[in-house]
Amino acid sequence: MSWQDFVTISPLVAGILTAAAILVVDLIQPARSAIAVATALIGLGITAALTLIVGLNPASAFDGSYTVDALTTFLDILFISIIAMTIVFGPDYLVPRNLPVAEFATILVFAMTGAMLIAASTDLLVLFLGLELMVLPGYLLAGFHKTDGNSTEGAIKYFLLGSFSSAIFLFGLAFVWGLTGTTRVDEVAGALAAVVAGAAPLSPGLAMGLAFMTTGVAFKVAAVPFHYWTPDAYQGSPTPITGYLSVLPKVGAFALILRLFVEALGPLSDWWLPVMIVLAAATMTLGNLVALTQDNVKRMLAYSSIAHTGYMLVGLAAWAGDPSGRIDGIEALLFYGAAYAFMNLGAFAVVAALQKRTGVTSSLATFAGLGRREPMLGILMTLFLLSLTGIPPTAGFFAKANIIIAAVQAGGPLTILAVIVVLNAAAAAFYYLRVVVYMFMRESATETPALRHGALLWSGLAAATALTILLGFFPSALLEAAGRAAQALVPG
Amino acid sequence: MDISSIPLLSAIVFLPLVGAILVGFASASVARPLALFFALLTWVASLLLLIGYLPDRPGFQYVETVEWIPFFGIQYKLGADGLAVLLVVLTTTLSWISILASFKPIQTRIKEYMISFLVLEVGMIGVFLALDTFLFYIFWEIVLVPMYLIIGIWGGANRIYATIKFVLYTLVGSLLMLVAILATAYAYQAGHDGSWVGAFDFETLRVYAGTGGFSNGLQIGAFLAFFLAFAIKVPMFPFHTWLPDAHTEAPTAGSVILAAVMLKLGAYGFIRFAVPLFPAAAQTFAPAIIVLSLIAIIYGAIVALVQPDLKRLVAYSSVSHMGFVTLGIFVFTEQGLQGAVLQMINHGLITGALFLLVGVIYERTHDRTIAKMSGLSARTPVYAAIFGFFVFASGGLPGLSGFVGEFLVLVGTFAANPYAAAVATVVMILAAAYLLYMYQRIVFGEVSDFLAGLGGRLTDISPVEILTLAPLGGLVVIFGIQPGLLLNLFGGTVRETLDAVRPAAPIEIPSPVVVGLVALAVAGVVARTGWAIMRPSAESSTGLEPDPRGAH
Repeated sequence: MSWQDFVTISPLVAGILTAAAILVVDLIQPARSAIAVATALIGLGITAALTLIVGLNPASAFDGSYTVDALTTFLDILFISIIAMTIVFGPDYLVPRNLPVAEFATILVFAMTGAMLIAASTDLLVLFLGLELMVLPGYLLAGFHKTDGNSTEGAIKYFLLGSFSSAIFLFGLAFVWGLTGTTRVDEVAGALAAVVAGAAPLSPGLAMGLAFMTTGVAFKVAAVPFHYWTPDAYQGSPTPITGYLSVLPKVGAFALILRLFVEALGPLSDWWLPVMIVLAAATMTLGNLVALTQDNVKRMLAYSSIAHTGYMLVGLAAWAGDPSGRIDGIEALLFYGAAYAFMNLGAFAVVAALQKRTGVTSSLATFAGLGRREPMLGILMTLFLLSLTGIPPTAGFFAKANIIIAAVQAGGPLTILAVIVVLNAAAAAFYYLRVVVYMFMRESATETPALRHGALLWSGLAAATALTILLGFFPSALLEAAGRAAQALVPG
Repeated sequence: MDISSIPLLSAIVFLPLVGAILVGFASASVARPLALFFALLTWVASLLLLIGYLPDRPGFQYVETVEWIPFFGIQYKLGADGLAVLLVVLTTTLSWISILASFKPIQTRIKEYMISFLVLEVGMIGVFLALDTFLFYIFWEIVLVPMYLIIGIWGGANRIYATIKFVLYTLVGSLLMLVAILATAYAYQAGHDGSWVGAFDFETLRVYAGTGGFSNGLQIGAFLAFFLAFAIKVPMFPFHTWLPDAHTEAPTAGSVILAAVMLKLGAYGFIRFAVPLFPAAAQTFAPAIIVLSLIAIIYGAIVALVQPDLKRLVAYSSVSHMGFVTLGIFVFTEQGLQGAVLQMINHGLITGALFLLVGVIYERTHDRTIAKMSGLSARTPVYAAIFGFFVFASGGLPGLSGFVGEFLVLVGTFAANPYAAAVATVVMILAAAYLLYMYQRIVFGEVSDFLAGLGGRLTDISPVEILTLAPLGGLVVIFGIQPGLLLNLFGGTVRETLDAVRPAAPIEIPSPVVVGLVALAVAGVVARTGWAIMRPSAESSTGLEPDPRGAH
């Protein structure tokens, strides 16, 4: 352990200090949401700056269990932006419901450090630590509205299934450790490469470990058939938290997948590829089919987030299935993660804005006549929904196009997967556009006055909008960053 | 000064967008004139394009290239050849006409309407000018959103059903086309040592396709995907079912643009992309597509015969007329393709006008049921005369432009397959039948109770309405007498497309299929005639749609 190690992990430390600072500030100035938000944003800004500075020199710390490379930097910046946006969207919804903003921000920042730890870990145990640090705050957040029965119910479901899946994952991890004798990612990969090369036998235990880990991860990303917790957890949570839950833990779990399946289990990709293909196809198709039948927008977005998981899995499968080992699939996955984060957060922010008045549900009827009542919100929601559908020129379109390019390149069964992606996108258009129908083509049954929204909400929406549009028109910068990140993961 | 130094194409594409943004910031009271101003400005710019275009120079002109996403070699590349220039001018002309025609009918959310319309214009022009397959796809999808809103917000009673159907049909086709575009690009990249440069560039791809670069498997898969996207847009039988609903529910101007320009997007896609990029697959599937076109021609005409609703009748006539376009494209003869392009332009002008005319009568009566109208000539003589002019044009009266396109398609088809030509010719009689039968029912005879009941509200066509129709009528006459004006412009495109295919032999269609088609056409005519004889009272009450007001 050296001085250099601490420099390497300084962004993580900055994140934890930020969370602590928010708590301290809240102690000194209780219930002043503006101050808490400002503290959080300043802290996150410092964390982001440190991430970028540290990211200039790829390094590893603590005997190679913690690594900073282009992938770490890419994911960390993404996580920080997601958390910053979520915090900005929070107060408008929380304050009218007398929910504490400072605690909300603290928990979020803690979760972020967990995700950052995942992104940087090159040791299976650290990976697990990061995972738990990321999801535990999520359970708290899901039950954040203590007096609301739905919120508590959702939180308990989320907690039970979440800890269950963590246990399964850990179990699989133990098998892998037991049979390879190491928890270090590169050494595991080396041991597995020997197995694949035929130098060492494949034990049934290792196969079982692999199966358990796949199951655990599938739970975390809410892939079909391990998705049952999602809709309840999402619908019960306070809306800004639902937005968060649908983005950060998901992208974080994909970070885990990248570190685990690509880096550690990469040599075995021929074995898990068929599983991933089936998972991806089932996830996007089932997610979309169920989303079609929802008339609650929050629940609809929850199911649609399952479908988006499926699209991202296609990226992973495209990498694994590419005969010439191109990294375009991973690149596409990373790009999709970023695009999805911003457009989905934006959509949830609009839903949250509508629910500013307590007692307003997120049913489709709430959106009736929104285009006339609050044109700006209606237009922004339309933009986010179009992007989620994948209509150009938006971020969501380019994200899907990338996934399809990667899948088409890989060829073989992946081409069929690409066709499934686009058919799903067409089906998704139906339920996304239904919201637009309600907003612009139906009139509200009851006369609802327009709400006043805070400057924080508008600035957050402006950021989400700008990113959704800019990534659609000028995807090159992010594509290159994603390319560098993928390169760091799979030196090709 | 070099003419290519002015980014004229970008100006034409994005002028309506500037207009849309300004309308967004302007107050609602000036939305209409402002939108019209920008539509006219775009029109003038497109006329400059037409004047500056040199028909004798091969290849694309006014080409603009900007690197856009170098990562994948995707460019912002625009360029125009004769076909594109013509279709752009058609688009800009009908856009300002449609905006002008919307002044009175559209009374709610005027700003949003005008913005949608201008954005729609951006997408349509972009599709015709894009020379990068990725950019083409983006413009293609941009078209979808404003049309979705135009039908869904300002449409008729059943608008939401119609607009969702329209979007889903179109989206399924276009998303598969996206896969095909990406697969094509990848095939190119794989053949060039992994370099993406030029993988989306149409001109490069066409040259590569000409050297047989794309494998047969890719050609067939990609062609089928492109075919689906374009066939849905055209629409070809059996992908046409969204069209009658969309047309019936759309506001008048929406129907005009839908028929006059958006259907051409599909036909343009066939000529520009599907055929030159995948020539072998195009030849493989040509017989099947010809048969589908013939079915569309016959089926559209027969269904149009029995439509009780004016707008639906014109919509089905579109299916029939667009069948001539796809027929002309896929017989792969020079006359056939020339005829197809002429038919595209003429159908745009004539059907656009017919929809405007239906809109005129709907404005006054709020009804489109043919059975309720008769004797319009007595109450609105000018309207009846103009309507008659366009009905004859649509029916293919020699001397008017509708005739030339269909005639050339038939000549071209005859060279490739005489039986197919014979079948298509029979349908020209059907076209005359459904049009004249409709015209006779609504224009002549006693003034119906329904129309009499409207009293003073049933005024004759207004000067503004005539202004929207006059340019279309003028062009119909000019192109009818002097089709050479157009043929000169796009002759180069036609030759280049045919050079790409180089059909080896006349196209064979199995004779049982032809016999079946003839039987279908004859049966349709016989059934319709028999029905008319057996039900002589059809004029007074068609019995097709129960009339709630007439049923005392």
